[in-house]
Amino acid sequence: MRNTWLIIQREYLERVRQRSFLVLTLLLPAIIVGAFVIPSRLSRMKNSKTQRLVVVTSTPQFGEIVRQQLVTSTKPGEEASPDADKDKDKDKDADDDDKPSRDYAIEVDSNSSEPERTALRNRVTSGDIDGYLWLSDDAVAARKVTYYGRETGGFMEKSWLSGQLDRAILLEELAQRGVGGAQADELLKPVKLETMHLEAGRETKANDRGAFFAVLIMVMLLYMAVIFYGVSVMRAVLEEKNSRVMEVMLSSATSTELMAGKLIGVGAVGLTQIGIWIVMAGVYALPALAASASTGEIRIAPLTLAAFALFFLFGYFLYSSIYAAVGAVITSEQEGQQLQFIILLPLIVAVFMMGPVMRAPDSPVAVWTSMVPFFSPVLMYVRIAVQPPPVWQIALSLVLLVVTIAGILILCARIYRIGILMYGKRPTLPEIVKWLKYAKG
Amino acid sequence: MNTVELNKIRKSYDEFVAVDDLSLVIRPGEVYGLLGPNGAGKTSTLRMMIGITVPDSGMVSMFGEPLRRAHTQRLGYLPEERGLYKKMKVLDQLVFLGELKGLSGHDAARRAGQWCERLGLKEWTGKKVEELSKGMQQKAQFIGAVVHDPQFVVMDEPFSGLDPASAMVLKDAFLELKNAGKTLLFSTHRMDTAERLCDSICLINHGRAVLEGDLGKIRAGYGKRNVQIKYEGDARFLDDPKLVQSFNDYGNYVEVRLATGADPQELLRAATACARVNKFELMEPSLEEIFLEAVGKANA
Repeated sequence: MRNTWLIIQREYLERVRQRSFLVLTLLLPAIIVGAFVIPSRLSRMKNSKTQRLVVVTSTPQFGEIVRQQLVTSTKPGEEASPDADKDKDKDKDADDDDKPSRDYAIEVDSNSSEPERTALRNRVTSGDIDGYLWLSDDAVAARKVTYYGRETGGFMEKSWLSGQLDRAILLEELAQRGVGGAQADELLKPVKLETMHLEAGRETKANDRGAFFAVLIMVMLLYMAVIFYGVSVMRAVLEEKNSRVMEVMLSSATSTELMAGKLIGVGAVGLTQIGIWIVMAGVYALPALAASASTGEIRIAPLTLAAFALFFLFGYFLYSSIYAAVGAVITSEQEGQQLQFIILLPLIVAVFMMGPVMRAPDSPVAVWTSMVPFFSPVLMYVRIAVQPPPVWQIALSLVLLVVTIAGILILCARIYRIGILMYGKRPTLPEIVKWLKYAKG
Repeated sequence: MNTVELNKIRKSYDEFVAVDDLSLVIRPGEVYGLLGPNGAGKTSTLRMMIGITVPDSGMVSMFGEPLRRAHTQRLGYLPEERGLYKKMKVLDQLVFLGELKGLSGHDAARRAGQWCERLGLKEWTGKKVEELSKGMQQKAQFIGAVVHDPQFVVMDEPFSGLDPASAMVLKDAFLELKNAGKTLLFSTHRMDTAERLCDSICLINHGRAVLEGDLGKIRAGYGKRNVQIKYEGDARFLDDPKLVQSFNDYGNYVEVRLATGADPQELLRAATACARVNKFELMEPSLEEIFLEAVGKANA
């Protein structure tokens, strides 16, 4: 026990003191801010340029309805504009998600003749207007409307535009049938679906977005931790082996002590780093993120948090113990890189399974894959976050996970012990099996 | 109570037998040499002796008991080549090794500091191991092996790759430990080093013990059948098969192995008869010769 503790301390302190630890700790949040926060801020910025459109309809009344729909209604702000003024709206745009990202100036034109079309075309070319919508009676009857413009707009803008036109056409049709004003608005009121989770007679508001974020964050963290720290465990073993520190260590401690100390020590470094990130996120990123997701509050149940901690830790230990064993078997880092993908494969499969499991958390596939130890850190956690499964299933998957980790640790400690004393060539699989038989002591 | 007893230990890797029924006894307070050419099984033997690996068969006893984990606290190990964490500072590293052997952090720091001072590493204690020269690293490694004041110190090729000055410092530290009553074991393929330092030896070749025991007795058993001669003139006397079994000309002198039953006085007379003899000395056989002869016998 004392030896394990000493090894944990050494691994932890030596790593935390390294400059690379500090650099990574600061760099990653910077990258995340760069990759997520800035684009999302940019996209919420108003396009300073007003879109000047001409709406061509057969009657001025219909034209007016369309104009109102485009000018007053909301628009999801998704499209980043390259020429946006970056600083202007930075402070006030935190909660103005409901406004369109650019303003429209609409001119109604009730002359849907061919010469007029040519005239509009020329106005677009000369830059007098940005585009025009051709809403002749034929086009409306066929529900096939064409937008002509220099910028044809992004995907989100198009779907928004077609939504607004649908509504305008409905309003027009209703007006023709004598339904207008507030009555029409009443008829067109959209449905808002709210889901409630029922369990043991208790009702809770199902929080899909919160669950989704909780899952995403966990899987990202697990993936990163496994890649960064799994590899660093592998490297540490390899370095010890190559510099023969291992012999000195083995003359004082058992291979199981070494292995456990290394995993826990490096694991603690990873947790420290993630802890720092969480604090940093709490200070800076979370208010911004919460604001940007103002429509769906991010609320995470305590069970989800507990599951996060548990499955993250076990998942991390599972994968890094495999890395340690690989480190004991290989003779150079290049060989390790070839094997890395194989180690990560189950994790990647689990990530691919996330979608199906989230959609149907109770399906037999979801139930059984979430029991498999190499998948359960991701998939059982997904199920808990989306819709808590029966307790026996959680318990079974945890037990299987712990048993597997213990098994791999014992196995790895053996490979470790023998592998480190073999130099030169990488052993074949039959040789490894033979080592496992040797290494009883 | 012997410090170490190996009783017919054997270790094989696949078909290759690294150590083959090896037995030896190391008595307390002696300097013991494990000798043999490269690949003879020295390192494999040491590893089994200190419990890094387990013999396939046979028995390892330490301090009069079957080897247990607890014994490792009373022994120090210096591996062949450098076995230190490269990125770790020298003193941190030595304290860590000491703590692993059961010292408190405070004691480990104090003793490591004393040793560093004695071996001239004092200014280097705050440096990373990788910044040290090879000789410096070997000194640090040595301190790592002895910082917990072990009863028994095992060293694998401690002098390999050292410059003469560093080797001298290390040798002095060796003798200091010996005078303090510690038992020392080292392996080497250099017979001359062993010859100068060891009380007892075990010569191994192809995993088997060729010779084992007190160095003086082994030598005496081979008798004084060697003569070193410095001469000027005719070397005809070397050609008499009744007197000379073989000889080795080293340029400055010639080393002669007497034929069985030959009288050295006879050779001296023959030499003076045809050449001017400046030096004529009867010698104990060198370890190298003993080894070669023993291996020759074993193979015959």
